[in-house]
Amino acid sequence: MSIAFRTIRELGADIRAGRLSPVALAEECMQRLDTVGRKLNAVVTLTRERALKQARRAEEELKAGRDRGPLHGIPYGAKDLLATSGGIPTTWGAAPFKDRRFDFDATVIERLEQAGAVLLAKLAMVEFAGGMGYRQPNASFTGPGISPWAPDAWSGGSSSGSGSAVGAGCVPFAIGSETWGSILGPSTYCSITGLRPTYGRVSRHGAMALCWTLDKLGPMALTADDCGLVLDAIAGADPRDPTTSNRSYRYDGGAARQFRFAVVRGTVDATEPGVRDAVAAALDTLKSIGSIEEITLPERPYEPMARIILWAEGASAAEQMIESGAIAGLTAPEDRVTPYARDVILAKDYLRALRLRGVVAREIDGVLRRFDAIVGPSRGTAGPRLGAEFRSAIRGSFPDPLGAIGNAAGLPAVGVPCGLTPDGMPVGLQLMGRAWEENTLLAAARAWQARTDFHRRRPPLS
Amino acid sequence: MSLPEAEILFALVRHRYADRLDAAQLEEVRKTVEGLVRDLAALRAAEIPDDAEPAQPFIPFRADRYPQGGTPREGHASEHRVSHDP
Repeated sequence: MSIAFRTIRELGADIRAGRLSPVALAEECMQRLDTVGRKLNAVVTLTRERALKQARRAEEELKAGRDRGPLHGIPYGAKDLLATSGGIPTTWGAAPFKDRRFDFDATVIERLEQAGAVLLAKLAMVEFAGGMGYRQPNASFTGPGISPWAPDAWSGGSSSGSGSAVGAGCVPFAIGSETWGSILGPSTYCSITGLRPTYGRVSRHGAMALCWTLDKLGPMALTADDCGLVLDAIAGADPRDPTTSNRSYRYDGGAARQFRFAVVRGTVDATEPGVRDAVAAALDTLKSIGSIEEITLPERPYEPMARIILWAEGASAAEQMIESGAIAGLTAPEDRVTPYARDVILAKDYLRALRLRGVVAREIDGVLRRFDAIVGPSRGTAGPRLGAEFRSAIRGSFPDPLGAIGNAAGLPAVGVPCGLTPDGMPVGLQLMGRAWEENTLLAAARAWQARTDFHRRRPPLS
Repeated sequence: MSLPEAEILFALVRHRYADRLDAAQLEEVRKTVEGLVRDLAALRAAEIPDDAEPAQPFIPFRADRYPQGGTPREGHASEHRVSHDP
C-alpha cells in the first residue's frame, strides 16, 4: 500500500501495529521526494544519512516499547531556513548561501528529533523568505516552486517546498514559516492545511530572521488534526528565543461543538471571481458547524502598517547582504534591486507603525472576544502561472487586511482547503483567532474537515 | 507623476547606491520608493492615541534568568537568530 497522502495518525497506527517500518517509510518518502518532489522544485537537500539514522532509532525504540508520541517514526521536511547540523546545507533559497552550513540545529529541529520525527529533507523556499520583494515565482536558486495541482502553476511562497512536498504526498508534514502569508499561501495553492501559530508560541532559534517582530514557524500537513500533533511537539518556551512565551501548549483534540464565526464585510467580494465563489460556498457550509455574523472593522491602514514594519525590519535584518552588494547574486531580478529602496523608511514612521500595531492588536482582540474565529479567504487569488507576475499584499498590489492584521497582531490562523476554481486550482479558507487560541481554531478546522472532503482530494499528478 | 517626498527619498537611495545600479534598476527603485511613500502617507494619516506605545518585544537581559544554561550565544537576545553574513 502506498504511503503517499496518509496522515500522521494513520501512519502512526500502522507503525505501532507493526504493519509499517519507520525505515521503510523513510525510504519510500525519500524516493517520492527525489522523483515527484524534485519535479516540483520542492527539494533542496535530501538528508538521507540523518533520516535513516533517526528512522532506525525510532524502529528500535518502538520495538523496545519506548514510545515518544504521535510523531515517533514519522517523516517530515523542513523549510530550508532552519539551521541543521551534520554538514547539511541551510541555503535560505538564496544562491549566495547554497553551500552554507551551520554547526547546530534550530530549536524546532531539536524538538522534532526529541519527538522521534525523522528529517528527510530541507525543502525549497523563496530566497530570503520573500523578504527582498519578489513579484514572480522564479525567485529561488532551486527554481520556481510548482503546485502539485498544475505543472504550470506556482506552489505559493515563501514556504514553497513545504507546501508542494506535503501537497504531492511526499511527506505527511513539513515545517514552514510565515512573516506575512508564507504558510497560508502555499497551503492554499497546494491544497493542504497550514497552521500559523501565535507569535511567540514556537521558538525561532536557528531560523533565518526576516522580520523579528513578525516571523513565526508552524506546521503544514494534510489535516488540522495533524497540524495540532506537530504544534504540540514544537511549541513552548525557549531561552534561546526570548520572544517565546512561557504559556504551555498541549494539543487538545476534543469534541466538536457549535462555533461563532465572523466574516469581515468586503473580504470575500475583494477576491478573484473563482476564489470568491468557492469561499462563498464554503461559508454556507460553515453554517452547519456554527453561526456566521458579518462585521466591519475600524478603518485603519492595516496593510501599509504591516508593510512598513516588514520592510524596515527586513532592511535591517539583511543589511549586510544589501550593503555588501551580495544581493546581486539572487535569482529574481527584482530581489537584486528592491531592497535598496527601503533605506528611505524613517525611524519615526517605523515607530508609528509599531504604535498603530498596538492599537490594532487591542481592537481586534476586542472583536475576537465575541467570536471563535474570523473567517475569510486564505488567499484572494488562485495560484498564479509560472512566469507571470502575481498580485501580492506585500508588494501592495492586492488587498489582504486579514493577513496584515493577523500577522501584525501575532494572531494564529489555520488555513484549510475549501474548493477549486473553475479551472481546477485550489482555494483556501482561513480561520483566524485570538492569541493563544490555536486549539479553538483547530477544533473548528477539524469540524470543517469532518463535513467536507476537500482535504482528501488528490492533485492530478498522483 | 512622482510625489515630491518620493523624489527626495529616491535621491537618497541614488546617492548611496547608484554606482551599482543601471538605469532600469534605478527606475525600479524609484517605483518602489513611490509605493513606500504612499504607504507612509496612509500610516501618517492614521489617528493614534498619544499614549500608544510601540508594540515590540524588549526583554532586559540577565544571564541567570536562563536556567537551562546554554552557550553564551544562546543567552543573548541579539544573537538568537541566524545572521545574514554571506
